[in-house]
Amino acid sequence: MPSTNTAILTQNLTKFYGSFQALHGVDLSVQRGEIFGFLGPNGAGKTTTIRCLLDLIHRDGGEVVVLGVDPAADPVAVRRRVGYMPGELHLDESLTAEALFRYFNELRHGAADWAHVRQLAKRLDLEIQRPIRNLSHGNKQKVGIVQALMHKPELIIMDEPTQGLDPMMQQVVLGLLKELQASGSTVFFSSHIMNEVESIAHRVGIIRDGRIVEVADPKTLGKRSLNRVRIRFQQPVDGAELAKVSGVTLLSQDNGHLVHLQIEGEMDPLIKALAKMPVSDFETERPSLEEAFLAYYDEPEKK
Amino acid sequence: MITVFKHTLSRSRGAILGWGLTLAIIAMIFVPFYDSIAENAEQFQQMIELYPEELMAFFTGGSSFNFTTPEGFLSVEYFSFMPLVIGVFAILAGSGLLAADEERGVLDLVAAHPVSRTALFWGRLWSLVVSLFVILVLGYAGVMIGTTYSLMDLDAVETIIPFASLFAYLLFFTGLSLLLSMWLPSRSSASMVAGIVLVASFLLAGLTQLNDTLAAIEPFLPNVYYQGLGWTDGFKWDWFFILSGFGFLFILLAWWAFLRRDIRVGGEGSFKLPWFRRPQKSLA
Repeated sequence: MPSTNTAILTQNLTKFYGSFQALHGVDLSVQRGEIFGFLGPNGAGKTTTIRCLLDLIHRDGGEVVVLGVDPAADPVAVRRRVGYMPGELHLDESLTAEALFRYFNELRHGAADWAHVRQLAKRLDLEIQRPIRNLSHGNKQKVGIVQALMHKPELIIMDEPTQGLDPMMQQVVLGLLKELQASGSTVFFSSHIMNEVESIAHRVGIIRDGRIVEVADPKTLGKRSLNRVRIRFQQPVDGAELAKVSGVTLLSQDNGHLVHLQIEGEMDPLIKALAKMPVSDFETERPSLEEAFLAYYDEPEKK
Repeated sequence: MITVFKHTLSRSRGAILGWGLTLAIIAMIFVPFYDSIAENAEQFQQMIELYPEELMAFFTGGSSFNFTTPEGFLSVEYFSFMPLVIGVFAILAGSGLLAADEERGVLDLVAAHPVSRTALFWGRLWSLVVSLFVILVLGYAGVMIGTTYSLMDLDAVETIIPFASLFAYLLFFTGLSLLLSMWLPSRSSASMVAGIVLVASFLLAGLTQLNDTLAAIEPFLPNVYYQGLGWTDGFKWDWFFILSGFGFLFILLAWWAFLRRDIRVGGEGSFKLPWFRRPQKSLA
């Protein structure tokens, strides 16, 4: 039995699509009031896990408890207290955003405060009178965000919430999630954006091939992340010397003037080593989340 | 359920008006043609009696009728092909009741709200049943309006009979296509199979009158129980209950399937039929 502080608990959650096993016993525990980032490459099982939490798909094995309720036993009770935004957002385009919100609010028996809906729309710079079919991808995403947050849910589940939004609007959305968390809500979200996860998540769960490979705080994971740097030197240098620095791998070098390195973990030792060299240009390149973290989990000996 | 019902009905306004007015306009155009038949009734009846027996059997289901009566004229010129016309709507609406939004990815978000699958299913279904009813009422109104400017004199109550029978017929195909949409991989495949049943039933019901070897399949054809002819002989309740009863059975099975199945989104592979699936390796 989960403690009353647990917002989401899955134990040995399994799911098959025909003969294909999508989830191989997912174990997750999300505490009430925390922001939990859920990461993984495409096809890892993020969306399948999320859809099991809402009983949109039926699990084939294991236990799921959301806000103290088994969603398979009482899905309506769970959904009443949850705000959900799917990763692949599709809206009824024949409606205006306002008509859609009113319909969803009726489905929630008027749980949303309409002044709050307008306030959310204003913060997201969304015109709710416009037909959804005339909205850009980013604005449709905003509609998805408002509908998920408009009833001030206890638990917010979002699959890639900032996808398609401009950087400024991404910050607004992250700010909203932080505010909701501060007011007592739990946030469970998936993302591909490293900075986003680092900036707001208290803990991060990584799923790969339908299994949770690690749950940790973002700083711990950050230390394992990979970075790539491209350094141009005023004079030729020996790249192999740089490769001796802890965590550094030489990827390529061009006549000793241009060196391409990969750094695992902290950048500090490399910076100190470069201080003694004639550097003319230094360029960092942050790999995608998959490259950065999942390369780590690809190597069994590092687990 | 009421919220889902109202929302679905509101979305169906265009379809109700489009199909209902089409039925009404067809009736209003055809009914006045009866005047020329009535004025030359004897010659028309003689001409029809000269038609090949097989041709008449195909269109009249083997029953004797008089083309020059208002009922006989309407049966051939209107009610005989109505199952095909409005049956297409029933099939498209039935197969799309849940599967259309599911394939567009819209159902996922709706179902994530505090509404049970039962409420979602029945709210939408009742809305469709009301839509079918209103469409037929508009068709009936078209027939009765047509009689106001023609020689055709119809009993307003008796004329309800073919429309009531058509309603049961539409329930049958709505239920069938809805059930197929729960089992088959896509809405279009469900519509296609139900459409084949509709057309085959229409054609075979006529052919059974011409070919004795086909008589064995006659009890299994929905069109046999449609009372588009001979409605002046009184309402055949048994036919009505056979069609609507099977329709309701299909609907119950579809409801049962909807409660147990996953709500699909693109890319999960759940759109494939099990026997079409190639063995796949686990990701592990």
